[in-house]
Amino acid sequence: MRGWLWVLVVAFLAGLFWWGMQRNPKELPSVLAKERRPAPDFTLPLLPPYRAEWGEAFRLEDHLGKKPIVLNFWASWCYPACYEEAPVLEAAWRRHRERVLFLGVNTQDKEPEALRFIAQFGLTFPQVFDPRGRVAVDYGMYGVPETFFIDGEGRVYARHAGAIDEATLEKYLKEMLP
Amino acid sequence: MTPALLGNLSVALALAFSLLGLALALLAYLQGDGRFLKGAKALAPLTLLSALVAFVALEWALLTHDFSLAYVARNHALQDPLWVTLVTPWAALEGSILLWGLLQTLYAFVASRKPLDPWRASLVLAVLFGIQVFFFGVMATIASPFQTLPNPPANGTGPNPLLQDHWMMAVHPVLMYLGFVGLSVPFAYAVAAMVTRRYQSWVEETRWWTLIAWGFLTAGKVAGMWWSYEVLGWGGYWAWDPVENASFLPWLLATAFLHTAIVQQARGAFKTWNFAFVTLAFSATLLGTFLTRSGVIQSVHAFAEGPVGPAFLGFFLLATALGLGLLSRVSREVRDVAVFHPFSREGALLLGAFFFSGWALVVLLGTFYPLLVEAFAGAKVSVGAPFFNQVSAPIGAGLLLLMGVGPLLPWRRARKEVFRNLYLLLAALALGTLLGLLRGYTLGASLAVGLFLYNTLAVALLFAEGVRARRLAGLSPWSFLENRRRVGSLIVHFAVALMALAIAFSQTYRLEAEKTLYKGQAWEVAGVRMALQGVRALDEGRRFAVEARLSTDRFGEVRPRLHFYPQMNSPLPSPKVIYTPGNDYYFLLMDFDREKGEWASVRLVVTPMVFWIWVAGVLMALGTLYILWPASRPEAAREVSPA
Amino acid sequence: MRLLLLLLALSLTALAQEGPPPDLSPEVFRIARELRCPVCQGESAAESNSGVAVEMRRLIAEMLEEGKTAAEIKAFFVERYGEWILYEPPRRGVTLWVWVLPVVGLFLLGLGLFAYFRPRRPLPEELLEEAERRLKEPPA
Repeated sequence: MRGWLWVLVVAFLAGLFWWGMQRNPKELPSVLAKERRPAPDFTLPLLPPYRAEWGEAFRLEDHLGKKPIVLNFWASWCYPACYEEAPVLEAAWRRHRERVLFLGVNTQDKEPEALRFIAQFGLTFPQVFDPRGRVAVDYGMYGVPETFFIDGEGRVYARHAGAIDEATLEKYLKEMLP
Repeated sequence: MTPALLGNLSVALALAFSLLGLALALLAYLQGDGRFLKGAKALAPLTLLSALVAFVALEWALLTHDFSLAYVARNHALQDPLWVTLVTPWAALEGSILLWGLLQTLYAFVASRKPLDPWRASLVLAVLFGIQVFFFGVMATIASPFQTLPNPPANGTGPNPLLQDHWMMAVHPVLMYLGFVGLSVPFAYAVAAMVTRRYQSWVEETRWWTLIAWGFLTAGKVAGMWWSYEVLGWGGYWAWDPVENASFLPWLLATAFLHTAIVQQARGAFKTWNFAFVTLAFSATLLGTFLTRSGVIQSVHAFAEGPVGPAFLGFFLLATALGLGLLSRVSREVRDVAVFHPFSREGALLLGAFFFSGWALVVLLGTFYPLLVEAFAGAKVSVGAPFFNQVSAPIGAGLLLLMGVGPLLPWRRARKEVFRNLYLLLAALALGTLLGLLRGYTLGASLAVGLFLYNTLAVALLFAEGVRARRLAGLSPWSFLENRRRVGSLIVHFAVALMALAIAFSQTYRLEAEKTLYKGQAWEVAGVRMALQGVRALDEGRRFAVEARLSTDRFGEVRPRLHFYPQMNSPLPSPKVIYTPGNDYYFLLMDFDREKGEWASVRLVVTPMVFWIWVAGVLMALGTLYILWPASRPEAAREVSPA
Repeated sequence: MRLLLLLLALSLTALAQEGPPPDLSPEVFRIARELRCPVCQGESAAESNSGVAVEMRRLIAEMLEEGKTAAEIKAFFVERYGEWILYEPPRRGVTLWVWVLPVVGLFLLGLGLFAYFRPRRPLPEELLEEAERRLKEPPA
């Protein structure tokens, strides 16, 4: 080892690991959001409380391109993140329901648990049921909760992983709405 | 006196004693005063005692279900079986630091009793006390196992279910820590040698320490492999997980050091290499503890994140800086001149050392590549097991070749008689490979067979040579067994060759399949015929088990299970493993009919020769023990050269 | 009693029951072993028991049934998760270096060894003789 080489090595390691500790190692970038791809279509059954208003099955294609969509993947066992963001989403839905469609996808869960969750938070935006998690794979999801923002042209604009807070939600909505 | 009070007191005492010991040891070196050294040595048993008291206090709190301690509330539950309670100290972050600290004081105590000149003794003690200061300092400030809760709950959550599913939890972490902590003693000796410029004798003095630490590391790693195999439900034993890799690095470097130390003892060469290996091995140990506790890299082994990350990073950087700084001075002052021919024992050992270092570098590269890419290019990449397997295979093959031929080569340069042995070995290699190919094995597997034959023949030749030398010298041929170092290393080398063969076959020919069986339905796969007899549920207090009863044609009734723990939202599979010398049959219950228990989804993994990996592991431990066992007649243990 | 216990098991888990899961052939596992589980990121899709991995194996089984090749199946997942999902780093782009560097290292090792064993100025005769003499002495 020549002279100051070892100092450089130690300094480099220090910088690298310090930086490494600041970020979340589990985080994965969203391919859909990065490339602004058109949102993958799906048809899923709606949960019973929403069938009256939205029908038996929900087809995403029917709603793409009409107005921006906030697509939220959640599960009743995802504690505490999904429990934190549910009231935030419900409040934002009530504020923007004329201009934005909020859609919840209950993924890898059981129906009674999902209904219990919905009742607990009084969620009024439509919820579909995907027990296998097939749609989650199509969206490149790596862990609940994840929220996808689909713009007015039906393209994925952004993806937020983890519980979403009001500020971030409003920010994306403002960017998507004309 | 509550456990919390006793614990906090003893941790504080241990920290105080370690600080005092560090100060006295440094003063002893700087002032050259023997009284300071005496004082420092007297503090070693005191730190051991206080650490022991702290450990006992934690066990006391656990055994009396004292939930006022945060650690107990988070990691213990009333319904835990006794053995789980006893191993809970190392089930989570703070307790594992306490175990490490305790073992550190134990090693420091034993090291303080070894006679050594006062200059180096004070430095050795200073380093060891310094390490203790760090661990007890962390425990006293940011990660105390004895933190109390204002409102203690009535019952705790219990340890992570993955850690209470199998008794190996009691064994593997302790073995690993004994190995890791054991490396700190050769490191301390190396630092003392580098500072005092006594570059030669430390290698002989640390021989036992290194061997003991290496033995524990090897045993710990094999135990971990077996635990992973039996418990985790995927039928594998090594995943190239970042923390596994981080604990593989010290093992590789320690193995390299064990071998190059022989050259320094015999010929005085490789001085810089030996210092480098020990320093880097110890650094790698600290890197491993940092990775496990910092959240830098995602791993199944990681403890829950805490504030200890920066502390461990700081200590790792400090130790690495110290080691590298001293190394740079040594490399400037010591010139290694090759007074040997490349085709000699030294040459083989040097090449082996390069291979080990190369392997360590490649594993380091693969483990940290995603971090580097993310830091500099912002992209997320994955370097998984296939990369490590593919780059390790040629390195492993090279090492196996060297392992066979190395001990047969004489020192300084090869003589003509040696070539006869070499031709024999090469013939064995070619024969084995050919046999494998003829039986239809892949090239890799056939080569593994060839290398196994090659190494077995090499061990046999060495054995024969040793016995012959004894007979020629007029001694009883069985006295060769008294040469513990030789015989022990032969056993270990044979075990390594066996393990390599088993790994090659188990990786190449692994088969798995999954099928849903209805009650009474039979399934024929991979030469096994099984039928589902039924599914039943059992309440085991701390967990809930669902068992599938499978009747097989060869193994009687097999009952793989799923364990449901209240604190986990998905079940843990508990496989049933049937070990046979040929194949291992691994039965997993993946899913079952929750309403009526009419069907069960069963996965079968068939892996050849896994059984021999564990046999090889036991052999390696036995070989190491053989070397360490005190010789009854030291004169007979020495190497006898042919007359 | 048994039924009661099974119902208890029902309440403790989160996996939905739509009917028995599909059968998975060895080929499914061979392909799944080359994909990473997005949730348990240290494990491959063959090893992990997370919901996403179970779904991935199901998808692989379905796609194999449709006649898709292993390459097409892997491309399916890469399209959704990016190249990160491949367990083996691809030999192109930024991960090319992780494959190249070991080879470069091997080359440098060869150079190092060559430099180490290059014949240098021989040691003075007296030193060599002394070394030989000491070697021939009986061990102390």
